[in-house]
Amino acid sequence: MIQADAALISASSLFLAAAGLTLIFGAMRVINLAHGSFYMFGAFLTTSLVGLATGSRFWWAVPVAALGVAVMGGVVEVSTIRRVYGREHLTQLLATFALLLMFADVALWIWGAEYRTVPLPESMFGGIEIAGQLVPRYHAVIIGTAVAVGVGLWLLLRFTLLGWKIRAAVDDPESLEAGGVNLRALYTIVFALGAFLAGLGGAIISPQISVSPGLDLSIIVLAFIVTVIGGLGSVLGAAVGALLIGAAETLGTNIAPDMASTFPYLAMIAVLAVRPWGLFGVPER
Amino acid sequence: MLDTTRQQAVTVPRAATRRARAAGSAGIVALVVVLVGGLALLGAFLPVSRALVVENAIGLALFAVATNLLLGYGGLVSFGQAVFYGAGAYTVMLGWEHWGWSFWTGFALAPVVGAVLALVIGLLSLRTRQLYFALLTLAFTQLAFVLAQQQHEFTGGDNGVFGDVLPGWLADPRKGYMFTLGVATACAFVLWRIVTSPFGLTLRAIRENRDRVEALGVNVFRHQLVAFTISGAFCAIAGSLFVVHTKSAYPQLLEWTKSGEPILMAVIGGMFAFLGPAVGAFLYVLGQQELVQHTQHWQLILGAVLLAVVLLRPDGLAGLVTGGRWRRRPTAKEPEAGEEE
Repeated sequence: MIQADAALISASSLFLAAAGLTLIFGAMRVINLAHGSFYMFGAFLTTSLVGLATGSRFWWAVPVAALGVAVMGGVVEVSTIRRVYGREHLTQLLATFALLLMFADVALWIWGAEYRTVPLPESMFGGIEIAGQLVPRYHAVIIGTAVAVGVGLWLLLRFTLLGWKIRAAVDDPESLEAGGVNLRALYTIVFALGAFLAGLGGAIISPQISVSPGLDLSIIVLAFIVTVIGGLGSVLGAAVGALLIGAAETLGTNIAPDMASTFPYLAMIAVLAVRPWGLFGVPER
Repeated sequence: MLDTTRQQAVTVPRAATRRARAAGSAGIVALVVVLVGGLALLGAFLPVSRALVVENAIGLALFAVATNLLLGYGGLVSFGQAVFYGAGAYTVMLGWEHWGWSFWTGFALAPVVGAVLALVIGLLSLRTRQLYFALLTLAFTQLAFVLAQQQHEFTGGDNGVFGDVLPGWLADPRKGYMFTLGVATACAFVLWRIVTSPFGLTLRAIRENRDRVEALGVNVFRHQLVAFTISGAFCAIAGSLFVVHTKSAYPQLLEWTKSGEPILMAVIGGMFAFLGPAVGAFLYVLGQQELVQHTQHWQLILGAVLLAVVLLRPDGLAGLVTGGRWRRRPTAKEPEAGEEE
């Protein structure tokens, strides 16, 4: 049970990091190497907002940090990402790689190189009973957030006007634009939403980790593994990929501790060997 | 391995190509003589500390040119070339550490190790396309990085392996410089012969229109695999030159950001010119050297320059010189995002 808890925590944080990435790719066909930077900024903003005080500040720091990252995402889309839609993958990868370099430098500038921690609010001490098992409260919050984001995204894409527009933009952007929809604004909103999810992930997970420069690099690789296994552009795929990697990591820690961190990579290599476009993706030519 | 008759059919009108190539090659030979001669003079007369910076740039230039065989000529965006670069450095250092190999044994085996690794990774990843290929090769480089970090007893973990691996004369900075220059020049020559061979032309044809070349009966997968293997071997040689420069190997040589470096150099210098990536490598190393003396925000400036080049001059600085226009790969089959620019 403890292992299931560990696997779910890992899967939840991976899903939060990957959901925005795959949403953005699904709508705009842009792969964002700087997505991990949004995650890192979410975590760093939370450390600053919470400061060293314990208590309930954490609860408003998380949404404020996520919104801050969403604004940052919007600015990035308008200034840079907008210019690489429909361009070669290499151009997109390098433009966002450039952003990653710049954001890493800016984060180091603002927050310095030392490790920062966010104290867990007191209300999160202790555990609650779920299905007869005692689960740490904070873990339940992380898992709950991931589930809420997953379900929320599904509802958004399925039942709202915005979701309808996003799905239409994937299938036929020209017709959508001809129908009077402001495609530019739509793309900015989707990108900001993706950034918001990454910021939320980084913010909510910040008490669990030590926040430091380099977080962007470590999370982006795992987020890629999750989205690629699931199939780029598929939110469901990202959820399945996150569960798979979460399980593989936890299993690895128990079977072969010194090889555990190779498991996500091996899982990705194995999945792509069988399905080169991921579990829920569509073949790319 | 390569059936030339079939590939000849792929090339454009032959007489015209040959004339253009002959004229081009005369210019290139002159350019190379001036370049290599100039670099040799720099190595002989610059203060040692400065010469070592140039030596570093030469090694990375080979890394970038070898990577560009895939990138510029093959149209393959591999984010995993650091595997082979790191493997080259680790081959020399680990052989010396564990089995008492001389530098020369490691140096000779480095390209073999690089080629074998590239063959295996290529077999596994070339079935995937475009982004999936870029991200799968990225996964391989991270896998190697994690392995190098964790297998402490064998690789020395985070600290890596270091020590006096170089034979006496090579440890002399000026001789090490000349050795690096010589090896890089020889490798660049071989790579140039490869990209101008029928094989190289077929590779470019695959980049331009994969389906059409396939319809002509060319085995695209095999060509890409051979290119991947060749590139891996030369990246490993560049890695072994890193040992000449630093007498060490450590996990960061395998990290995915290290794989990004040659791509970044190729794009800054221009990936559609053979020596463009080498120019990019020199700008990168010398620029970094100058900037870190004046500012802590070297990465910020690098990112801004890269962003500007990618958005404004996607054919790099070489494009400014040749006046070449950015050539888009055919994207007809690709789902387009819809927006212009």
